Amino acid sequence: MAPTIALGAREVTKSFPGVRALENVTFACAPGRVHALLGENGAGKSTLIKILTGDQAPDSGAVIVGDEEMSFGSPRDALAVGVTPVYQELTVLPEMSVLDNVMLGHESARRGVLRLREQREHARRALERVTLGGLDLNTIAGDLSLANQQLVEIARALVSKSNVLILDEPSAVLSGDKLEALHTVVRSIVAEGTAVVYITHLLDEVRDLADDVTILRDGRFVSTGPASEYPMERIVREMVGRQVDSVFPDPADRRDEVVLSVEGVVPRGADCVPVSLELRAGEIVGLAGLVGSGRSRLLKTLAGVRQRGDGRVSVGGRPLRASLGATIGAGVVLVPEERKRDGLVLELPVGQNTTLTALGSISTAGWISGAREAAAYAEERDRLGIRSSSGAQLAKQLSGGNQQKIVIAKWLRVGPRVLLLDEPTRGVDVGAKSEIYRIITELAAQGMAILVASSELPEVIGLSHRVLVFRDGAVVGEVARDPESSEKIMHLALGTES
Amino acid sequence: MTATLAPSPAPAPSAGRTVRDWVATAVRRGAAVWVIVAVLIVVLSVMRGGAFWSTGNIAALLTSAVVLGLVALGQHTVILSGGIDLSVGSMVTITTLLTAVLIDGYPIRTFPVILGMLALGALLGTINGLLVTKLNMPPFIVTLGMLYLVSGAALWISSTPAGQVTSALTEFAFGKLGPIPLSFVVLALAIAIIWFLLNRTVWGKQVFAVGGDLHSARAAGISTNRVLIWVYVTSGLLAAVAGILLAARSSIGSPTAGDGLELSAITVVVIGGTSLLGGRGTLLGTMGGVALLSLITNSITLLQFPSTITDLIRGVIIIAAVAVFVAKRRR
Repeated sequence: MAPTIALGAREVTKSFPGVRALENVTFACAPGRVHALLGENGAGKSTLIKILTGDQAPDSGAVIVGDEEMSFGSPRDALAVGVTPVYQELTVLPEMSVLDNVMLGHESARRGVLRLREQREHARRALERVTLGGLDLNTIAGDLSLANQQLVEIARALVSKSNVLILDEPSAVLSGDKLEALHTVVRSIVAEGTAVVYITHLLDEVRDLADDVTILRDGRFVSTGPASEYPMERIVREMVGRQVDSVFPDPADRRDEVVLSVEGVVPRGADCVPVSLELRAGEIVGLAGLVGSGRSRLLKTLAGVRQRGDGRVSVGGRPLRASLGATIGAGVVLVPEERKRDGLVLELPVGQNTTLTALGSISTAGWISGAREAAAYAEERDRLGIRSSSGAQLAKQLSGGNQQKIVIAKWLRVGPRVLLLDEPTRGVDVGAKSEIYRIITELAAQGMAILVASSELPEVIGLSHRVLVFRDGAVVGEVARDPESSEKIMHLALGTES
Repeated sequence: MTATLAPSPAPAPSAGRTVRDWVATAVRRGAAVWVIVAVLIVVLSVMRGGAFWSTGNIAALLTSAVVLGLVALGQHTVILSGGIDLSVGSMVTITTLLTAVLIDGYPIRTFPVILGMLALGALLGTINGLLVTKLNMPPFIVTLGMLYLVSGAALWISSTPAGQVTSALTEFAFGKLGPIPLSFVVLALAIAIIWFLLNRTVWGKQVFAVGGDLHSARAAGISTNRVLIWVYVTSGLLAAVAGILLAARSSIGSPTAGDGLELSAITVVVIGGTSLLGGRGTLLGTMGGVALLSLITNSITLLQFPSTITDLIRGVIIIAAVAVFVAKRRR
């Protein structure tokens, strides 16, 4: 008598400071079936998984295992009732051996003393199922490729007796034969009655593997049903789903002068097709694509944060050396994705954060003038509409939106000609978002050339004159500014339409 | 959130093993430090062969390694788990002092006092562990506080050397099993037990996992708090054993007996190639560190260098050893 719901969520809500990650999401995965959980980046899939596996507690709602409501205090509780996750962020311990990694958490032991032979047998059997049968059990896990580390982790999940296996986007690191092998494993454990929750961005996988589909969007439940009712078009439409809001000011006309010219650039250490693009004065170009598609990597390379492997970049017709100092000197700056880590000194006052890039302009012979610092901050505060109690308030005390404005202000102090923005509105509330959109549009109108990478489709479409779509590190298409183009972008990003 | 997970090409396995690979492997296995130990032994044999290999000197050498060795075993376990224990020196002090003061020459008290001291070490370790896990305080701060607290208590008990152990205990401390001092046998036993615990039990694997990555360990279903508490209990217990042996050897208790031992213990663990970040290290390496430090002290005596130079040489050795044998951290 199998339960009808192997793993599920009932009306789960979860908020993080400033962001509502999940709102009233209901989900149910039946035993012996593969359930594909789909949604754009930031739709709430990862948060849902963390709640289902006890890694985070929901603000309200309940997790259901085997038809019973559960309240998990830690991942340990979820594992105890047979819910085994394979997270996207690897939890393989790089310093430990393959054997210890596979058996971690469910060692064969008598009174705490390991039974070495049994350990090796179990590990060997699990590894064989994921095509790593030939691997030396004593290999240090950190020496393996990312794909093999992922397989080791899946082997770990196979050793434990799970009722539900959760695979969080294994195709992000697995491909070809290894992905095929994983599919074979998934089919065999499903045949044994295990439920599998499968997160993926590859819609081919959904077609090949899934029995059921659930779609999330913006932290909300959209629809669920058997996979046969979900042709690709429906999946893409429901994942994207919304209309582009009218909060985007119309961008001003671009000028003819080419400010940034990129020819055949390849980030160092990356194995991808060279990228070429041109950016004119006053132009805003959006970069769309899935997480890991190479947008951030390209921006970092253009900003000189990451080394260039190959290619040429010129600003205003003059070739640019691939160093951070030279790049800033030429007026190319990056507002980074990880605002708190790479953009701000959180423990410093906002005034000092703002002037950090241009200390020369507020100092004489190395002595900083407090008055000039205050004046510089006041100027940016008025220009960008920064709301802080004073220039002495600490950066960490500001809201996400005002923090982002400080980062933008900091780079405006160097008088940039090219502004690169990576996820400019992540963790920013709705009101501040439209202000940031206004700032970006105004800066372009003043003649700055702007590249914006964003996972939010309405944002890239609404802000930009044109959108470049990335997949596997390469530009796979260009789409004009048009609210109706979001589905086309999604198809390009997923590779479901040529 | 996961943008850093861009698939990067797998590191290509290098064709021939380079010298650096050999060194890295030697360091990871803890063998590197033994090379220096061997070199030092050869040097001493050549320069002062007779004096160095005399039974008296060997016994003294082994005995001098006992207290540091025991404390280093505990420190090794704590550092593996990603923590640090600065309170071990003060725990040695207080158990040394209390052993002498409480026994005070009465043979009948010997056994209960020894048991009491072991319990005290375990208790102090438990407090460390609870503060680190339940209150989520950094181990550095917790054990630093404990260091001052316990040292203060020791000085409060007696500000001058006090008490007296029984002759039976002293005899044990200076007794020998063939050429090997009995106290060294205690160390050997402790090494065997800790080796077994770390390498052949579930708890041992969990210590490595917790030290390697706390979040990953938790995700694998390990109750990390329990693992960590036992780590600090182990360290406290070993410090107590060291304290009892130190009292037996010096026959009276001193309120400064264990001063600086925590730093020596950290030193030998680091020289042995254990990562201060946790999750990687071998007992072989740590014991090599103990051997090296004991040999340095011994050689200074044998070579008739001024004893004041010990710390200077120690500093040079630490920096040199770590600089040469730094094992590159993965990822």
